[in-house]
Amino acid sequence: MITTYLFFGFALLAVLGALGLIIFKHPMNGAMSFVVTLISLAGLYALLSAKLIFAIQLIVYAGAIMSLILFIIMFLNIQEKDLPLDPNRWFYLAGGIVVVAPIAGLLIKISKSLPATEVTVFEDGFGGVKEVGQLLFTQWLLPFEIVSILLLVALVGAVVLAGKRGVN
Amino acid sequence: MVSHYLFLSIILFCLGILGVVSRRNVFIVFMSIELMLNAANLGFVSLSRLHVNMDGHVLALMVMAVAAAEAALALAVIILLHKHKGNLDTNIFSLLKG
Repeated sequence: MITTYLFFGFALLAVLGALGLIIFKHPMNGAMSFVVTLISLAGLYALLSAKLIFAIQLIVYAGAIMSLILFIIMFLNIQEKDLPLDPNRWFYLAGGIVVVAPIAGLLIKISKSLPATEVTVFEDGFGGVKEVGQLLFTQWLLPFEIVSILLLVALVGAVVLAGKRGVN
Repeated sequence: MVSHYLFLSIILFCLGILGVVSRRNVFIVFMSIELMLNAANLGFVSLSRLHVNMDGHVLALMVMAVAAAEAALALAVIILLHKHKGNLDTNIFSLLKG
Protein backbone atom coordinates (compact mmCIF):
# COMPACT_ATOMS: atom_id res chain seq x y z
CA MET A 1 0.00 0.00 0.00
CA ILE A 2 2.77 2.39 0.93
CA THR A 3 4.44 1.66 -2.39
CA THR A 4 1.34 2.95 -4.21
CA TYR A 5 1.45 6.26 -2.35
CA LEU A 6 5.19 6.51 -2.96
CA PHE A 7 4.65 5.80 -6.64
CA PHE A 8 2.07 8.55 -7.02
CA GLY A 9 4.22 11.01 -5.09
CA PHE A 10 7.29 10.31 -7.20
CA ALA A 11 5.26 10.29 -10.43
CA LEU A 12 3.74 13.69 -9.58
CA LEU A 13 7.18 15.11 -8.80
CA ALA A 14 8.63 13.70 -12.03
CA VAL A 15 5.88 15.16 -14.20
CA LEU A 16 6.06 18.54 -12.44
CA GLY A 17 9.83 18.63 -12.90
CA ALA A 18 9.50 17.81 -16.60
CA LEU A 19 6.82 20.49 -17.01
CA GLY A 20 9.11 22.99 -15.30
CA LEU A 21 11.90 22.02 -17.68
CA ILE A 22 9.85 22.84 -20.76
CA ILE A 23 8.19 25.95 -19.28
CA PHE A 24 10.88 27.88 -17.36
CA LYS A 25 12.60 30.52 -19.43
CA HIS A 26 16.09 30.46 -17.94
CA PRO A 27 18.06 27.20 -18.50
CA MET A 28 19.29 27.26 -14.89
CA ASN A 29 15.72 27.04 -13.56
CA GLY A 30 14.98 24.34 -16.12
CA ALA A 31 18.03 22.34 -15.09
CA MET A 32 17.10 22.59 -11.41
CA SER A 33 13.60 21.31 -12.05
CA PHE A 34 15.04 18.55 -14.26
CA VAL A 35 17.13 17.42 -11.27
CA VAL A 36 13.84 16.91 -9.39
CA THR A 37 12.65 14.65 -12.21
CA LEU A 38 15.87 12.65 -12.18
CA ILE A 39 15.82 12.11 -8.41
CA SER A 40 12.18 11.04 -8.38
CA LEU A 41 12.95 8.64 -11.24
CA ALA A 42 15.65 7.17 -9.00
CA GLY A 43 12.96 6.65 -6.34
CA LEU A 44 10.78 4.89 -8.91
CA TYR A 45 13.66 2.56 -9.81
CA ALA A 46 13.99 1.72 -6.12
CA LEU A 47 10.27 0.90 -6.02
CA LEU A 48 10.78 -1.40 -9.02
CA SER A 49 13.55 -3.10 -6.96
CA ALA A 50 16.24 -2.10 -9.44
CA LYS A 51 18.81 -1.30 -6.76
CA LEU A 52 21.82 -0.96 -9.04
CA ILE A 53 19.96 1.29 -11.47
CA PHE A 54 18.73 3.37 -8.53
CA ALA A 55 22.28 3.98 -7.33
CA ILE A 56 23.60 4.66 -10.81
CA GLN A 57 20.75 7.03 -11.60
CA LEU A 58 21.61 9.07 -8.51
CA ILE A 59 25.38 8.96 -9.01
CA VAL A 60 25.74 9.23 -12.80
CA TYR A 61 22.61 11.11 -13.89
CA ALA A 62 21.64 13.37 -11.00
CA GLY A 63 25.26 13.63 -9.92
CA ALA A 64 27.67 13.64 -12.83
CA ILE A 65 25.69 14.57 -15.93
CA MET A 66 23.55 17.23 -14.29
CA SER A 67 26.49 18.83 -12.51
CA LEU A 68 28.31 18.92 -15.86
CA ILE A 69 25.31 20.65 -17.46
CA LEU A 70 24.96 23.09 -14.55
CA PHE A 71 28.68 23.80 -14.71
CA ILE A 72 28.48 24.63 -18.42
CA ILE A 73 25.38 26.81 -17.90
CA MET A 74 27.21 28.79 -15.20
CA PHE A 75 30.42 28.81 -17.27
CA LEU A 76 28.68 30.51 -20.20
CA ASN A 77 27.27 33.17 -17.81
CA ILE A 78 23.89 33.45 -19.49
CA GLN A 79 22.17 36.77 -18.90
CA GLU A 80 18.51 37.52 -19.37
CA LYS A 81 19.22 39.32 -22.66
CA ASP A 82 21.18 36.37 -24.14
CA LEU A 83 18.14 34.12 -23.98
CA PRO A 84 16.45 33.52 -27.32
CA LEU A 85 13.07 35.13 -27.67
CA ASP A 86 10.42 32.49 -28.00
CA PRO A 87 7.58 34.51 -29.48
CA ASN A 88 5.58 31.53 -30.71
CA ARG A 89 6.59 28.84 -28.23
CA TRP A 90 3.00 28.43 -27.02
CA PHE A 91 1.92 27.99 -30.62
CA TYR A 92 4.52 25.26 -31.18
CA LEU A 93 3.63 23.74 -27.82
CA ALA A 94 -0.06 23.52 -28.79
CA GLY A 95 0.86 22.06 -32.17
CA GLY A 96 3.15 19.53 -30.51
CA ILE A 97 0.39 18.50 -28.11
CA VAL A 98 -2.00 17.99 -31.02
CA VAL A 99 0.54 15.75 -32.78
CA VAL A 100 1.79 13.85 -29.73
CA ALA A 101 -1.51 13.26 -27.87
CA PRO A 102 -2.91 10.59 -30.25
CA ILE A 103 0.38 8.68 -30.18
CA ALA A 104 0.43 8.84 -26.38
CA GLY A 105 -3.18 7.67 -26.26
CA LEU A 106 -2.36 4.73 -28.49
CA LEU A 107 0.65 3.76 -26.39
CA ILE A 108 -1.36 4.04 -23.16
CA LYS A 109 -4.06 1.83 -24.69
CA ILE A 110 -1.40 -0.74 -25.61
CA SER A 111 0.19 -0.73 -22.18
CA LYS A 112 -3.24 -1.18 -20.57
CA SER A 113 -3.42 -4.57 -22.27
CA LEU A 114 -0.40 -5.84 -20.32
CA PRO A 115 -1.05 -8.27 -17.47
CA ALA A 116 -1.86 -6.41 -14.26
CA THR A 117 1.07 -7.34 -12.05
CA GLU A 118 1.14 -5.76 -8.62
CA VAL A 119 4.58 -4.24 -8.01
CA THR A 120 6.10 -5.60 -4.84
CA VAL A 121 9.62 -4.88 -3.75
CA PHE A 122 11.88 -7.94 -3.92
CA GLU A 123 14.12 -8.29 -0.90
CA ASP A 124 17.12 -9.71 -2.78
CA GLY A 125 17.97 -11.82 -5.77
CA PHE A 126 16.68 -9.26 -8.25
CA GLY A 127 18.28 -6.11 -9.53
CA GLY A 128 21.20 -6.00 -7.13
CA VAL A 129 24.81 -5.40 -8.11
CA LYS A 130 25.65 -9.10 -8.08
CA GLU A 131 22.81 -10.30 -10.29
CA VAL A 132 23.00 -7.50 -12.85
CA GLY A 133 26.79 -7.73 -12.87
CA GLN A 134 26.69 -11.45 -13.60
CA LEU A 135 24.30 -10.83 -16.47
CA LEU A 136 26.38 -7.90 -17.75
CA PHE A 137 29.64 -9.80 -17.80
CA THR A 138 28.31 -13.02 -19.28
CA GLN A 139 25.52 -12.42 -21.78
CA TRP A 140 26.12 -8.73 -22.43
CA LEU A 141 29.91 -8.74 -22.58
CA LEU A 142 30.23 -7.56 -26.19
CA PRO A 143 27.80 -4.62 -25.82
CA PHE A 144 29.63 -3.67 -22.62
CA GLU A 145 32.96 -3.53 -24.46
CA ILE A 146 31.41 -1.56 -27.32
CA VAL A 147 29.99 0.97 -24.84
CA SER A 148 33.38 1.34 -23.21
CA ILE A 149 34.93 2.08 -26.62
CA LEU A 150 32.12 4.58 -27.24
CA LEU A 151 32.91 6.36 -23.97
CA LEU A 152 36.60 6.51 -24.89
CA VAL A 153 35.80 7.98 -28.31
CA ALA A 154 33.43 10.52 -26.75
CA LEU A 155 36.12 11.53 -24.25
CA VAL A 156 38.68 12.10 -27.01
CA GLY A 157 36.10 13.94 -29.12
CA ALA A 158 35.11 16.25 -26.28
CA VAL A 159 38.74 17.12 -25.57
CA VAL A 160 39.42 17.78 -29.26
CA LEU A 161 36.28 19.90 -29.69
CA ALA A 162 36.36 21.97 -26.51
CA GLY A 163 40.10 22.28 -26.14
CA LYS A 164 40.65 23.93 -29.51
CA ARG A 165 43.00 26.91 -29.35
CA GLY A 166 42.93 29.98 -31.57
CA VAL A 167 39.23 29.97 -32.33
CA ASN A 168 37.59 33.34 -31.96
CA MET B 1 0.61 -1.89 -11.24
CA VAL B 2 3.38 -2.06 -13.81
CA SER B 3 1.23 -0.32 -16.40
CA HIS B 4 1.18 2.85 -14.24
CA TYR B 5 4.95 3.02 -14.55
CA LEU B 6 4.58 2.66 -18.32
CA PHE B 7 2.00 5.48 -18.37
CA LEU B 8 4.47 7.70 -16.53
CA SER B 9 7.19 6.73 -18.99
CA ILE B 10 4.95 7.62 -21.94
CA ILE B 11 3.99 10.97 -20.38
CA LEU B 12 7.62 11.88 -19.71
CA PHE B 13 8.63 10.91 -23.24
CA CYS B 14 5.87 13.10 -24.71
CA LEU B 15 6.92 16.01 -22.49
CA GLY B 16 10.45 15.56 -23.82
CA ILE B 17 9.17 15.69 -27.41
CA LEU B 18 7.20 18.85 -26.59
CA GLY B 19 10.30 20.45 -25.09
CA VAL B 20 12.33 19.71 -28.22
CA VAL B 21 9.56 21.01 -30.49
CA SER B 22 8.57 24.15 -28.65
CA ARG B 23 11.78 25.63 -27.23
CA ARG B 24 14.64 27.38 -28.99
CA ASN B 25 17.18 27.42 -26.19
CA VAL B 26 19.93 24.87 -26.87
CA PHE B 27 20.19 23.82 -23.24
CA ILE B 28 16.47 23.18 -22.90
CA VAL B 29 16.46 21.14 -26.11
CA PHE B 30 19.43 19.13 -24.86
CA MET B 31 17.85 18.47 -21.46
CA SER B 32 14.59 17.46 -23.15
CA ILE B 33 16.54 14.82 -25.08
CA GLU B 34 17.95 13.61 -21.76
CA LEU B 35 14.38 13.49 -20.44
CA MET B 36 13.36 11.24 -23.34
CA LEU B 37 16.31 8.92 -22.62
CA ASN B 38 15.20 8.74 -18.98
CA ALA B 39 11.64 7.93 -19.98
CA ALA B 40 12.93 5.08 -22.14
CA ASN B 41 14.97 3.87 -19.18
CA LEU B 42 11.90 3.84 -16.97
CA GLY B 43 10.11 1.77 -19.60
CA PHE B 44 12.97 -0.72 -19.74
CA VAL B 45 13.15 -1.10 -15.98
CA SER B 46 9.40 -1.45 -15.46
CA LEU B 47 9.05 -4.07 -18.23
CA SER B 48 12.03 -5.81 -16.69
CA ARG B 49 10.11 -5.90 -13.38
CA LEU B 50 7.03 -7.22 -15.20
CA HIS B 51 8.89 -10.18 -16.66
CA VAL B 52 11.21 -10.65 -13.63
CA ASN B 53 14.15 -10.61 -16.01
CA MET B 54 17.14 -8.34 -15.63
CA ASP B 55 18.03 -7.70 -19.27
CA GLY B 56 16.17 -4.40 -19.06
CA HIS B 57 18.46 -3.26 -16.26
CA VAL B 58 21.50 -3.92 -18.41
CA LEU B 59 19.90 -2.02 -21.30
CA ALA B 60 19.20 0.89 -18.95
CA LEU B 61 22.87 0.88 -17.98
CA MET B 62 23.84 1.01 -21.66
CA VAL B 63 21.46 3.93 -22.22
CA MET B 64 22.99 5.78 -19.30
CA ALA B 65 26.50 5.27 -20.69
CA VAL B 66 25.37 6.54 -24.10
CA ALA B 67 23.71 9.53 -22.40
CA ALA B 68 26.93 10.34 -20.56
CA ALA B 69 28.92 10.24 -23.81
CA GLU B 70 26.27 12.35 -25.52
CA ALA B 71 26.33 14.90 -22.69
CA ALA B 72 30.10 15.32 -22.92
CA LEU B 73 30.05 15.78 -26.71
CA ALA B 74 26.94 17.97 -26.84
CA LEU B 75 28.23 20.32 -24.16
CA ALA B 76 31.54 20.67 -26.02
CA VAL B 77 29.60 21.55 -29.18
CA ILE B 78 27.45 24.06 -27.25
CA ILE B 79 30.58 25.77 -25.90
CA LEU B 80 32.01 26.03 -29.43
CA LEU B 81 28.75 27.40 -30.85
CA HIS B 82 28.48 29.94 -28.04
CA LYS B 83 32.08 31.00 -28.70
CA HIS B 84 31.36 31.51 -32.41
CA LYS B 85 27.92 33.10 -32.27
CA GLY B 86 27.57 34.42 -28.72
CA ASN B 87 24.02 33.14 -28.55
CA LEU B 88 22.04 30.10 -27.53
CA ASP B 89 19.26 30.29 -30.11
CA THR B 90 18.90 27.13 -32.21
CA ASN B 91 17.67 29.18 -35.18
CA ILE B 92 21.00 31.04 -35.39
CA PHE B 93 23.02 27.85 -35.74
CA SER B 94 22.43 27.42 -39.47
CA LEU B 95 25.99 27.10 -40.76
CA LEU B 96 25.11 24.12 -42.93
CA LYS B 97 22.23 25.85 -44.66
CA GLY B 98 23.07 26.49 -48.34
